[in-house]
Amino acid sequence: MVYGGRTKTMNLEIKDLTVRLYPKKYAGGYINVIDSVDLYVNGGEIAAVVGESGSGKSFLGLSIMRLNPPDVSEVVSGFVKIRCPAEKEALDIIRLNPKNLPSVRGRLVSIVFQDPNTSLNPVIKIGEQITEAIFAHKKMGKPEAKEIAISYLNRMNIDGKARFNAYPHELSGGMRQRVMIAMAMVLNPCFLIADEPTTALDVTTSLQVLSLIEKIKIESNLGIIFITHDLSIAKNISDKIYVFYAGQVMESGKTGEIMDNPLHPYTVSLINSVPSLAADYMPKQKLFTIPGYLTRDDFAEGKCRFYARCFKRDENCLKNIPLNEISGGRFVRCVKWKKK
Amino acid sequence: MRQMEKEIILNVLNLSKHYKYYKSIFDIKRDVIKAVDDITFGVFRNEIFAVVGETGCGKSTLAKLITGLISKTSGDIYYDGELLDYKDKKKNFRKKIQIVFQDPYSSLNPKKKIYKIISYPAVKNNIIKKKDRPDFAASLLKNVGLDEEILYGYPHELSGGQRQRVGIARSLSVGPELLILDEPVSALDMSISAQVLNLLMDLQAYDKMSYIFITHDLKIVRHIADRVCVMYGGKIMEISPSADFFKEPAHPYSTILYNSMLPYKFKKQLNFTDLNGKNTVPGLIGKEKGAEKGCAYFKKCYASKEICGKNEPPLKDVGNNRMASCFFPFTHQGL
Ligand SMILES: Nc1ncnc2c1ncn2[C@@H]1O[C@H](COP(=O)(O)OP(=O)(O)OP(=O)(O)O)[C@@H](O)[C@H]1O
Ligand SMILES: Nc1ncnc2c1ncn2[C@@H]1O[C@H](COP(=O)(O)OP(=O)(O)OP(=O)(O)O)[C@@H](O)[C@H]1O
Ligand code: SF4
Ligand SMILES: [Mg+2]
Ligand SMILES: [Mg+2]
Repeated sequence: MVYGGRTKTMNLEIKDLTVRLYPKKYAGGYINVIDSVDLYVNGGEIAAVVGESGSGKSFLGLSIMRLNPPDVSEVVSGFVKIRCPAEKEALDIIRLNPKNLPSVRGRLVSIVFQDPNTSLNPVIKIGEQITEAIFAHKKMGKPEAKEIAISYLNRMNIDGKARFNAYPHELSGGMRQRVMIAMAMVLNPCFLIADEPTTALDVTTSLQVLSLIEKIKIESNLGIIFITHDLSIAKNISDKIYVFYAGQVMESGKTGEIMDNPLHPYTVSLINSVPSLAADYMPKQKLFTIPGYLTRDDFAEGKCRFYARCFKRDENCLKNIPLNEISGGRFVRCVKWKKK
Repeated sequence: MRQMEKEIILNVLNLSKHYKYYKSIFDIKRDVIKAVDDITFGVFRNEIFAVVGETGCGKSTLAKLITGLISKTSGDIYYDGELLDYKDKKKNFRKKIQIVFQDPYSSLNPKKKIYKIISYPAVKNNIIKKKDRPDFAASLLKNVGLDEEILYGYPHELSGGQRQRVGIARSLSVGPELLILDEPVSALDMSISAQVLNLLMDLQAYDKMSYIFITHDLKIVRHIADRVCVMYGGKIMEISPSADFFKEPAHPYSTILYNSMLPYKFKKQLNFTDLNGKNTVPGLIGKEKGAEKGCAYFKKCYASKEICGKNEPPLKDVGNNRMASCFFPFTHQGL
């Protein structure tokens, strides 16, 4: 398989991206579901976006592809610039003419959706869905496309030949997810947004999929935005972590630095709420939880977005908190991060 | 818990589900997938019975068989000593056994408001009146850590985790005795997963509920389960009390699962070999051609000897209330 060794400068840069959501039931009201997000990922690098359910991770992924629902949301500021060897100059997806979007999606930047059931067509054979994705961008013969599709399925540990003609419902949840990944990768994009790609997989398959992503990353110098709610996966696969809460980056930096020395109260709480396999661990105890849950109110202006659930909060947190660079490449959005 | 106090609530006897499918449109021969293949086990009242195993091993198929969502190929299921037959309306099995699905997206009706979704089973089973639906749903939402504000919303307005908790609330609405939880927290973030696990442990302790808890996260199994059932290729490999399992797994496949979690470190150069170093044949889990007679795990097993390819090891007692289907249990590699 030839992936075209890309060595030239490749990066995806998100700056000050703000996306407004106008939920229908709040007539006239809105929230910034994505709020001044900065993110940077090089070719050959994995940036993990880790955060709570409902914090807007999928919305971020969709907005980068300009796939955010147009009836209820709009981008109000920022840019998403992609530099890819296939293009002469950097492309700002946010300002791209909508008619050019189809040629960018899948080819420059591709996405594995979180929900395999709404993105796989239930009445079309999985093999054909993959070859369709190829034909949308490339002219080639059917047998050739079929061969590529089968090889990508095999790489996902699915017997491509035997399952080419299977319908999505004939596969287990995990297999469907792997078909999705094969489909996203088949055009050899420069950047991949993977929205919870291993959430539905078991440990052994998950390891294989992660190692496959790693492998393709190296071969194609692929840059990956890896969306997950699982810190232990982020820890193991990523170069950088962006800890996300209620539409904002709360903390970001090199993976090792964040895991070894979390500074934001939210990151600290997350690390503490996972059961462990350590020998001295006591099962059946109450797990540490972050009180309450993410609500729409957390997206409101004029206070720290984590305020309602934070164990460190005080009156100083009742204002908009900026994201501060506290050392080279390490950012924290908290006024009290220093005090342990 | 002493052995004699335990009372079996669910008994599964020689249960099988075989799917037939065409290999290709030109090939009229049909292949059979033995998604669940002749399995037998019992679940005790008030216990958390965890089912683990890799993707495609038949966990969801088992869940669907127990809840009557698909028909079995052969075998029997007994609930509380009575033959489980959902058509027998008098027995109210639908009220006693509820399922929470793996997939929070397709399991909720997109056209219905949240409070209707949650209270639907309760209305249908005449537990509440239609006019009481919003209040009833609100109290269930609180139980699963969700705000009332979503009562009149629709599923598509919720995030994945929020939808999964709506699914749990709906299952709790009829006051079931046995919950089948198919990957109930794998789509949830960590802090909410902790809340849901705490909630499930509370329900078990105070409402005397029993669970079949399907998951692939051994960290969670260790934390919550009383017993662990390991499946591979539609077969049961091992059933052990959780505490013993995490001290020393009995089946070689359990050992592989266990090693892959401890410590869960991403192995950069896995290169599609099995975790035990052998090349994985991409393809169907389950019995491979030529291994029809032997152990389901034979081809990938590090402890296998000649007999494993010839005879099928039965699920049998290996001491300490543990069962394993292996000729050479407690053979460890790299432990
Ligand atoms: N089409 C929509 N209409 C209204 N609100 C929406 C819509 N899609 C998403 N939302 C809301 O936007 C917020 C962010 O949702 P998003 O799906 O991005 O969360 P997420 O971080 O991906 O969560 P999860 O981990 O559960 O997938 C949520 O509060 C959700 O309820
Ligand atoms: N309707 C169907 N037709 C044909 N084969 C099926 C059908 N449903 C399931 N299978 C097959 O049965 C096997 C077991 O599937 P099942 O969904 O029970 O796996 P699982 O253990 O739940 O996996 P996962 O962890 O991925 O959810 C798989 O090989 C699957 O492809
Ligand atoms: S700013 Fe205040 S409320 Fe926000 S995380 Fe820091 S301490 Fe907590
Ligand atoms: Mg999401
Ligand atoms: Mg399943």
